Amino acid sequence: MQVPSTEPLARNIDARSRADALHDRIFRRTLKFCALLVLAALVGAALSTLWGGREVLFGHGLHFLSSTAWNPVEDDYGALAPIFGTLVTSLIALVLAVPVSFGIALFLTEIAPAWLRGPVGAAIELLAGIPSIIYGMWGLFVFVPFMSRIEPALSATLGKIPLVGKLFQGPPLGLGLLTAGIVLAVMILPFISSVMREVFQTVPTRLKESAYALGSTTWEVLWDIVLPYTRSAVIGGIFLGLGRALGETMAVTFVLGNSYNITSSLLMPGTTISSSIANEFNEAVGTHRSALIALGFLLFVVTFIVLLIARLMLRQLAKREGR
Amino acid sequence: MNDLAAAVATPMANVEERTKIKVRDLHFYYNGFHALKGISMDVPEKQVTAIIGPSGCGKSTLLRIFNRIYAIYPKLEAKGQVELDGENILDPGYSMNRLRGKVGMVFQKPVPFPMTIFENVAYGIRHHEKLSKPDMSTRVEQALRSAALWDEVKDKLKQNALSLSGGQQQRLCIARAIALRPEVLLLDEPTSALDPIATSRIEQLVEELKSEYTIVIVTHNMQQAARVSDYTGFMYIGELIEFGNTEKIFTKPDRKQTEDYITGRFG
Repeated sequence: MQVPSTEPLARNIDARSRADALHDRIFRRTLKFCALLVLAALVGAALSTLWGGREVLFGHGLHFLSSTAWNPVEDDYGALAPIFGTLVTSLIALVLAVPVSFGIALFLTEIAPAWLRGPVGAAIELLAGIPSIIYGMWGLFVFVPFMSRIEPALSATLGKIPLVGKLFQGPPLGLGLLTAGIVLAVMILPFISSVMREVFQTVPTRLKESAYALGSTTWEVLWDIVLPYTRSAVIGGIFLGLGRALGETMAVTFVLGNSYNITSSLLMPGTTISSSIANEFNEAVGTHRSALIALGFLLFVVTFIVLLIARLMLRQLAKREGR
Repeated sequence: MNDLAAAVATPMANVEERTKIKVRDLHFYYNGFHALKGISMDVPEKQVTAIIGPSGCGKSTLLRIFNRIYAIYPKLEAKGQVELDGENILDPGYSMNRLRGKVGMVFQKPVPFPMTIFENVAYGIRHHEKLSKPDMSTRVEQALRSAALWDEVKDKLKQNALSLSGGQQQRLCIARAIALRPEVLLLDEPTSALDPIATSRIEQLVEELKSEYTIVIVTHNMQQAARVSDYTGFMYIGELIEFGNTEKIFTKPDRKQTEDYITGRFG
């Protein structure tokens, strides 16, 4: 039963709720706008590269995707060598950076004494802050001479292994896919390891303790419990690193040698999509320019495919865990 | 000491009980903080021993010494003797693997591993034994049956354990612990995160499990201690004030402090 109020309320409920609804609506629209802005920027960039590269993409069609030629004089362009170089250098970077990042992150979250965590953590973040041009310079002046000295040894040892050996045979130029991959690894390491470190810290203590209580060793706890628990974030971190490696321009341009060829040897020079663009954009006109913009569009496609693969991997893993 | 001896000797004089865990003058230091001050007690075999006391009294700390789970952290130190079947587990030479195989633990909140239900139980077994596939299935089934969970999960062993309810998750954790066929089961406030129905199922389970396992349960719920345990120890600020037959502790405690706590005058 309702008790009739004797005096009118001192506040105007209707006006207040109208104002609240309006505020909420404005707030929601602002947020939506921010999110859509990203989408618009992405679509805009993709479309403008598609438009800019239309002459080569649609004019030369499949030839552009399958040819290894790159001849500005005769306007004959093929994207295969840059795509190859991009994928190979990024792959080398991942292969080297992921295990090391994993080690760094685990050490910092699980094993390191408290006094060491701060300095090493800060060092990693500083590493992430170094501009890529500095990596490129360091790579060219310091790392390339170093590599040219150890490459003969690499050829003499790893080069002798059947099958894999092919990767490590070749002239000790110092410049090349392997060198670029290593420099890239150093560059993406801080990203991957700081993501991993963040997510490893989110694993509940009691989860780890339960595993220890069953007799697990530190390694087993990390590998069987911590890693699966943080799996999707870890893979996210790895692909964040991969995304950077695929698009990295300056450092790679310095140490890769910039020659359009596809070789089985990692010691040979190569080129990537972004370093080709950086090297040639100044002088490119007409079809040449169109070819470079088309390369840019291909980088979009390659990155998109890589992210798609990441998604599929995650879904596959989730299925195995019965989720 | 005399109180202790008297308390242990008097109850149930008709049953000759074997001591499973013998604690003598146990001190524990947490970063230099003296958390346990000379605990001595005898945990009888195949009985339920409850440890009660106000928050921060050291009851969980004591429990965490029994399987040396504290040892995964630096700067924690236990001194004294904790003998499991006559062997001092604090001895650095005592194999951690052996200890964790003999002493299982269930924690406050249910913590299923991020795996399937089956794998949750099989995980610990795999660490200690190499079993063939059918043997493993049998072992997992046994463990789940003992934890009174089998009927609820037998059709969804391949599902992620996080899909279970809180009470089911906690029984899964118990299954996971008993799958190793331990001798001692440590329960650290196992029902504090559960609803009353799930709690009573766990308590019922504890009752069933004590025929096979020595159970030590830490609880801040005095009714629970009274319901499930045969022996009770009351701790207060790092000391074991009184230890003895549960009925006696709850009806005729020897110490004033115990009585005050039991009757709700503090804590």
